[in-house]
This record gives sequence, C-alpha cells and structure tokens, in this order.
Amino acid sequence: MNRIQHLKKIASVKSNAGIKFLTSAAFPGSHCPLHTSLALSTNIRGMSTLVVGTAECSIYSRNVVKKARYSEETLHWMYVLDSNEVVFGCRKGVIDAIKEMDKEGAEAIMVILTCVPEVIGEDIEGIIHEVQPQVKARLSSVLMGHFRCNSHPSGYWKTLLSFGGMMEKRDINSNIVNILGRSTDEDNIPMPELLMELEKKGFHLRMLAPKSDIKDFIGATDAKLNLVISPYMNPLADMMDKQFSIPFISLHEIYNVLEIDETYRKIEEILSISWDNRFDELREKALMAEKKAEKELGGLRYISTGRNPIPPLALAFYLNKFNMIPILLHMEEFYPDDRQWAKKLEEVGINPFVCHMVNDKRDAPVLEELEPDLSFGEIFEGTGKVPCVSYLYELYGQIGYERTSFLLNRIMNTLENHKNKGGI
Amino acid sequence: MGLHRFSPPLSGRMGILRTLAPIRDSAIIEYGCMGHMMYGRMFLNRAGVSGMAKTYSTHIDEADISLGDTTRLNRAIAEIVEKDKPKVIFLLPSSVPQVIGTDLPAICKELQPEYPDIPLIPFGYGGFDVFGYRGVQEALLLLVKTLPIDIEKSKQKTFNIIGSCADLFRFQADADELIRIMEGSFGITPTCVMTSHTNVDDIWNMGNASINLVIRREGIPAAEYLQERFGIPYLVGRPYGIKGTIKWIEDIEKILNIPSNIEFIKSEEEIAKNQTLPTIPFFKHIFRSHPEEGTICLGGHADVVKGILTYATEEMMFNKGPCWCDSSDMSSEEIPYLTEEEWTAIIKSNKKSLLMASGEALEWGGGNLSLQISNPDTKWRLNPYLSPFVGFRGALNLIDLWLNAALDQDHD
Repeated sequence: MNRIQHLKKIASVKSNAGIKFLTSAAFPGSHCPLHTSLALSTNIRGMSTLVVGTAECSIYSRNVVKKARYSEETLHWMYVLDSNEVVFGCRKGVIDAIKEMDKEGAEAIMVILTCVPEVIGEDIEGIIHEVQPQVKARLSSVLMGHFRCNSHPSGYWKTLLSFGGMMEKRDINSNIVNILGRSTDEDNIPMPELLMELEKKGFHLRMLAPKSDIKDFIGATDAKLNLVISPYMNPLADMMDKQFSIPFISLHEIYNVLEIDETYRKIEEILSISWDNRFDELREKALMAEKKAEKELGGLRYISTGRNPIPPLALAFYLNKFNMIPILLHMEEFYPDDRQWAKKLEEVGINPFVCHMVNDKRDAPVLEELEPDLSFGEIFEGTGKVPCVSYLYELYGQIGYERTSFLLNRIMNTLENHKNKGGI
Repeated sequence: MGLHRFSPPLSGRMGILRTLAPIRDSAIIEYGCMGHMMYGRMFLNRAGVSGMAKTYSTHIDEADISLGDTTRLNRAIAEIVEKDKPKVIFLLPSSVPQVIGTDLPAICKELQPEYPDIPLIPFGYGGFDVFGYRGVQEALLLLVKTLPIDIEKSKQKTFNIIGSCADLFRFQADADELIRIMEGSFGITPTCVMTSHTNVDDIWNMGNASINLVIRREGIPAAEYLQERFGIPYLVGRPYGIKGTIKWIEDIEKILNIPSNIEFIKSEEEIAKNQTLPTIPFFKHIFRSHPEEGTICLGGHADVVKGILTYATEEMMFNKGPCWCDSSDMSSEEIPYLTEEEWTAIIKSNKKSLLMASGEALEWGGGNLSLQISNPDTKWRLNPYLSPFVGFRGALNLIDLWLNAALDQDHD
C-alpha cells in the first residue's frame, strides 16, 4: 500500500482537484473536455461550433469535426488567439467571429473556450450576452479548460447543461417522456426493457443525446418526466427540475433490486400507469443473481481501473450489499453528484483510495501489488494474475433489473473463469 | 491568428514536438494539460511516428497554476529516469505554462545535478507569435548546440541530413531516397538523419560527418553552427527531378571532393528516362492543346513547392499556375503566403489545373487526393515505405502522379 499513500480517500475529496494520479507521467493520459464537448456539439443537428484557443486545440479539433454528422448544414470554425490577445483578451475577435458565422447562416453556435482563454479570464458569458441581440443564431458557451479536471466527461455534462440554457418553457404533454442519455439511432446498444414498455404504452420518448436535433433540446420542457440513463445527463436533468419543474429519475446509478422496485413504482405514479407484471420475470432473475452473489462475492477486495466506464461510487455503494470492499477506485470525473455518493459511502463505513490512472504500463504493477481479488475494468500491461471484469462499456445505456443480472453474472463468471484457469 | 475555417498554422510548440518525437532513446515531457500531448501524439501516430521518443505529459491543475507549483514535473522526471533510463530528456512547455511564465530552463538547471548522466534540455519558442517552422528551426539548432560531442572526423566520409522532420508530408520516404542516392553515388552512409531516422547517439556523433545536407531552410542555422564548431561544410537544397537530382549530386561532389559513381547515376537516369519516354507524346498534347490542364498549382512548404515547381516547369514544361506557401515567414514574390480566403479562391477558379497541395485543401476542393504534397493531412500514414517526391525515384513518382491525374481529366 506504500505506493498509493500519496492518494486521497474519497471522504476527503470535494472536487476533481482531490483526485491525484496513481503514477506521475501521463502516457497516453486522458482526453481533454474540448474533445467531448466538440464531439457532442457537432453531432447535434443544427449546431455549429466555434473553438476558441490555441493552434493545438484548433488543429486537433479538425479531427473531431471530420466526423460531424451534419457538416453540410453547420459550420465548425476555430478562433486562434495571438500573442496580443493572450495579454489583452480576445473579446473583439470572438464577437467578429460569431457575427461572421451568423452571416454565413449558422442556426445555433456553441462557443467552446479552451485552456488559454479560460486562464486569462475571458468573459465569454458577457460576450454572449452582448452579442446575442445582434445575431439570429442561438448562442451558447462552455468553458473547457483541462486544468479544471483530469479527463473528458465535463465536456459532455457541461455542454449538455449549456444546451439547457436554450430551452424554452412549454406546456406539459403527459404523453412525452424525455430519455436523457440515449440517441435516436443507437442500434448497437440494446433498448432497455423499461423504455420498450413505455413505447408500447404509447408514450413518445424524446431521446436527448448526441445525434438529437437542437430543436429537441429547445422544446424538451414539455415532457412529463425525465428519465436519466447516463451520468453525463444528471446535471441537465437537475437544472430542468429546478427551472422547469420537470421531475427526473436517475436510472443509471441504481442496481439494487429493491431500489429498482421503488424507482419503477415512482415512474408508475408520475405517469399514472401500471406495469402490471411486465417485469416480474426480469426481476426474478435479478433477485436470483443477487442471492448467488451474496454467497460468492462476500469479503472480496476489489479495484476499479480506467477501463471501467461505470461511475465507481454508486457501484461501490451497491457492492457493499455483498460486503465487497473497494480498495482503490479510478475516477474519470468527480461529478457534482459524487459528493452525495461519497457521503453515502462514508455513512456505511466505506472509504477507499481514489485516483486517476494515466499510464497503463506504470500503473499495472502498482495495482497488482495491492493484490485485489477482482478488478472492474482491464489491467492493461498487467500479468493477468488479477481477474478483471472486462468490456464493461457494454453496460453503457443499460438500466433496470436486466442490467443488475448482467453485471452480477459477469462478475461471477469472471471469477469462475479465472479459477478454472488456475487462479485463486 | 484569428478566425479559421481550416487548420491554422502549427504553433512553434507543435513544430518543436514534431522535430523531437522521432529521436529514439530520448524522452519528451510536456509540462501542461494532458490534452495538449494527447493531441500532439495523435498527429505523430497519424504521421507514422510511434514508439520513437517516449512522450509524456505531467498535466497541471488550478492549484499548480495559481501557486506556480511545478512538483508534478519533478515527480514525472524522477519516474521516467527510474523506469525508462532515457539518454536525454527534452522538456516542452505547453500553452498554459507559457501564459503563466513557467521557467523551464530554471527548473532544469535546478534539477540537473540530481541526474548528472541525463541531460535535461528545456525548449523555448512556445510563444503565441511563433509558428511551426520557426519551432522546427529552433529545435534543430538547440539539438546541435547541446548534444553533439567533440569528436574527430570519421576516416570514411559520412554525411548528416538536417531537416527531415515529422511536420513535412512523406518525410521518411524522402529521407530514404536521399540516403539511397548518397550510398549509390558516393558509397557513404549517414551519421545522423536529423530527425526522422535518428537516435541520441547519432546526434552525439554528428560532428564526425564530412558534409551536412540541409533539406529545408529551417536547418540552415543548425548547419551554420556545425560548420563553425566542427568545420563541416553544408549544402542547402531538396533535389527534385532528374536534372535537379544530378545537379544536387554534382554540388555534393564538389564539396566532398570525391568522384561520384557515374554508372549509378547513369543507370538511375536511364531508368527514369525509359519509363518516361512513352508518356512524352501525351504530355506534349496536353501542353499544346489543353494548356489549362497543363498548368500546375502548388501549395505547401515553400521549399517543397519551389522544388516541385522547378521540376514541373523546367524539366516537364508545365505552365506555372498560382502557387503558395503555408508560412508567412517564408513568403516571397514567386511563392507568396496565402490566407484561407485566397487559396480557396484559387482552388475554385483553377478547377482544370493540376493541384498539388495539402490533404485538407484537396479534400475540400474535390481534388485528386493522390496529389497531396503537404500537411495538414486527413489520413493516417502508417506506411513509411511509399514513393518519395525527391531524387530519381521521386521524379518518376511525380511523373506517374501527373500522368494519371491528367488522364483522369476528360480530353479530346
């Protein structure tokens, strides 16, 4: 444990700044939030982008923009600061750039400020406020300085939150449910049973995620309920609750069958529907998996690596049900909600070390020295002696009873396979 | 720099990184936000520069910025020295440390005594008014000022190539062709090909060479320094075309004062001429009856554009169309620097001409992508063994490209 003593335990972490690197030299490290902010914005129909920053940010952004879904009808331009603007600010240049894009017909513009304009304190909100009355395009902005975080998730959730600023108050339509975190054409990700059932019952599901139309965001305030299935979407749902009184239910962070029961019941209540016995079979399977897990997983010490995309604190809280003990958790991002999860963990006496992993080769021996019984996420460059629950990204977009069964069975299968291969 | 619809010019920082990244046995640490090096490495991977210098980032956070705390850098250096044991560590500033004025030279000076066997070399030219080619120039100069050891001239003549860097399109293939020609013409091998085919030892030993071949103008200050310190003469130029390549060999012959291998040169010339011969009637027809299609437009590094233009117009009788370079520092009357608005207008109004430019420009203009001669690129380039543009093989490659591009046009 000596090699992780420089890390903090989750109870003492209040923000991204508290998440220290496991080892010091980043290779390859993590993407900056510009990448995700731009990838998200350029996949929204009608959304043009203006990246404000250095040549590095701009040149890299060309790779992201190349995959823009609606590039024929949108503009993806860059504003590069010169040495004068680094000292005196880039306000005039950015305003001129916005006007130029407006003149070229941009419908909506997301202005993405990267590290340098954020360090020099450029007041982008002031700029937007000043220029909005002069242009037709709807303007939004995000500050994407990488020095405020370790990795890319804020590029998603802050950008989505910024889309919220464009929303317009509408009358509630009790037949519409917003699904926050699923795209309209995610054919490669199975549709969760809950959403299929809502469709069967005649609800219109408005998917809010990359590949949505900007008009979907603007008019999303007519929904009866927001169902959140991605950690990136909680801040937007929270904002819509406060600003437009649309209740939300976060499904992505609930694994416990009894809690899922309660969540599904709330959905019934809000939407004035009854599931009848639609989920009984799935529920029974999940309960059986939990019973088996109680026998097999008790007392196991585990870690979570950078290859685990599941937010680790909510997962750790659930795994405590089986007396599993987290010893070190990689955190891609300390989300606004994570304070609440850290507190919940502290209340049940769980306080693992947390870190950000940036170098597979250097991190692997440190992780193996901890001698965990299990790793959530692969340990690349490791020796294979730690059983790893792999391909966890397959859980992305999944919710409910079926996800609980899937997760627990995968954990138990991983342990079984490792044992069969001669592991402990 | 202002508003851009296409990739803006490289920063000096990016020029430095692209110069240092191919140097094996070295480590590069960029002090700053991780995304910076992530993006830099992405370009290098795409350009086929992987696993050469070890490239790391330290990352920085708000506390580091507000307190000026650089201990992340100290920790990263210690870890890299312990695990990688590089022969030299290059330190690069990224944009935020540049803004807040982090003093990398002072940090290196302070830490150097802890690592007496591993030079810590800080690079400057990270400012916001310095473009990529200036970064290349300064990196080449700092390398030759800091690394070469005092050494006697090699008994067997050798040469250095200065300026084969990852920022130029198809840089590896061009360097390979020059090495092949030097071996064929003079029977000599390189000490150091700076920096595409090199390691730290090669740079240490480059003072033993008999001639420095400077293949882009950014290498001149480095060559001048080496001439002053080691007495190594240098030749500036990129050999394009058959005559141009023979002239280049003759210039080297004069400097080295050794006879070239006439048989090798004649054989190369004959192969090129024989291959070209059947195409001559077609090209003559194009130049006479379709002068617009017989016009060549070029955009890219000034030395590349100049070299290909000379070959195309003097050896092949193409008409010179609008040509431009991609750096305001290199702008001239013959090959001016053009803004996005200017070069896009040229592409729009010269649809019938042969356009050789960056991948980005060709893609935007709907041009023939096989005619790419410069960056920004839009593709991955994992294969370093493609045909060059320089030398005898480059001459044949260019004719092949021009011929097929012209045939693709609809002629009577």
